Amino acid sequence: MTPASLRGWRLVHRWTSLICSANLLILCVTGLILVFHHEIQHLMGEDLDSSYTEGQARLPLQSLVDIAQKADPTLVPKMLSFDPEDKAVNYIYLGKPEESGFDLGRWVVLNGFTGANQMLKQPEETLVGFLLKLHVDLFTGFAGQMFVGVMGLLFVVSTVSGLVVYGPFMKKLAFGILRFGRGTRIGNIDLHNLFGVATLVWAFVVGLTGAILSFSPLITGYWQKTELAAMTARHPEPMTGPAVPIDQVAAAGLAAFPGKDLAFIAYPGNEYAGSRHFSVLVRGHTELTQRLLSVALVDAETGVVAEAAGTPWYMTVLMLSGPFHFGDYGGLPLQIIWALFTIVTGVVTVTGFVVWLKRPRARAASDRSSASGAKLGSKA
Amino acid sequence: MSGGMSGVWRIPAALAVLSAVGLSAAILGDGIWDWLCWVTLSVPLAVCAVKLWRQWPGRSASL
Repeated sequence: MTPASLRGWRLVHRWTSLICSANLLILCVTGLILVFHHEIQHLMGEDLDSSYTEGQARLPLQSLVDIAQKADPTLVPKMLSFDPEDKAVNYIYLGKPEESGFDLGRWVVLNGFTGANQMLKQPEETLVGFLLKLHVDLFTGFAGQMFVGVMGLLFVVSTVSGLVVYGPFMKKLAFGILRFGRGTRIGNIDLHNLFGVATLVWAFVVGLTGAILSFSPLITGYWQKTELAAMTARHPEPMTGPAVPIDQVAAAGLAAFPGKDLAFIAYPGNEYAGSRHFSVLVRGHTELTQRLLSVALVDAETGVVAEAAGTPWYMTVLMLSGPFHFGDYGGLPLQIIWALFTIVTGVVTVTGFVVWLKRPRARAASDRSSASGAKLGSKA
Repeated sequence: MSGGMSGVWRIPAALAVLSAVGLSAAILGDGIWDWLCWVTLSVPLAVCAVKLWRQWPGRSASL
C-alpha cells in the first residue's frame, strides 16, 4: 500500500467513525437491552397471551377475523400475519374499506386457539417499545429510520477501513498488546485495535444487517411495485361476486407449497394483493427456511390458485438480516454472546473517539493547515 | 500483503473465520449447530477478556 492510499484509508476510517459514533452509542446501549426483549417483556408482564392446551384445535381464520372486526365494525380485514415463533399469536390488520395501504386502520392481536383479543400498547407505553423506537428511528419516523440506515452504512465502511489501517499500524507490534502505562492515547489505541479486530466480523455483519433492516420499507416497497405488481397485473379481473371463505383461501395457498406454513394473507384491494386475488405468503419452518417467503395469488371468487412464485433474492437477504441482527436464532447463550459483543463494540466506539480527541497537537495543527482537513473538520 | 505482514494477520484471520463459522452455524440447525455457534463465537470474546486481564495496569508482573 502506498503512503498516500494509507492516508486516504485513515481519513475514511476517521470520518465515517466520527460521524456515526453518537448514533452508534445509542444503538449499542438500546441494542444491548433489546437483545433480551422477550425476557424483559415477560418480566414486565407485557408478553402476549399465547397459552393453549396441547392438542387444542386452532380456531378457523374466519372466526378470528370476525372477533377482530367486532373491535371496530366500520373497518374491514386487510391483512393477516402469523408469528413464526409462536403459532398462537395472530395479527389482523383492519383498515378503511377504500384503503390500500396501512395508515388509517389498526392491528388487532388474537390468540389463534382461544380467540382472546389482546390490546397492542403504543410503543411509547412499554419499555421495550420505547427502546425499539429509539433504536430504529430515534422517534422521528421514516426519515429517522433512513438516517439510522445511513449511519449503519457508515459504520460498515468504518469497520472495513479500520481493518485496512490495522495492518500497517500493527506491523511491528504483537497481537493484543495493551500498553496501558504509555499514556491515554496509546492505551486507547491498543484497546481499540484489539477489541476492534477481534470482533470485526460480528460488527460488520450486525452493522450491515441493521442497515438493510433500516431500509426494509424501500426493499419491500420495491418488490411490491415490481415483481408483485407484475404478478397481480396478469390477473386484472374485477370482483363481481362474494369472496370464498378466508380458510379456503389459506388452504389453497398452502396446497400450492406443500410443507410450508402461513406467513401473511393480504386481502384483495390491498397493495400487496390483486384486485380480486388474495396474496398468500408462506414460509418454511426451520431457522433458515422460515426466512424464505413464497407467494400464491388465490382467486377470491373461485378459491383457485392463479399463480405461485418465490420471492427475489433481495427479499431473502432482507428476511435473513433479521436473525443476524437480533441474535435470536441460537437460544439464550447466543443472546448473551450478542450482548457481550455489543459491549465490546461500545468500548471500540468510545476508545476510538478518545484516540481522536487525544491526537497529537502537531498532527492537529497540520490538519488545520491542510485545506481538505479544515473543510471536513468544519462540517463535522 | 507481503511476507512480513502475515504475522500481523494470523490471529485476526483465525478469529474472523471462527466468527463467520459461529454466526452461520446456528442458522443451519439446532443442537450441535447451536453448540458450534456458542463455542466459536466465544473465542473472540475470550481473547479480548484474557488480553485485558493479563495486561491490566498493576498486573504487569504477570506479563
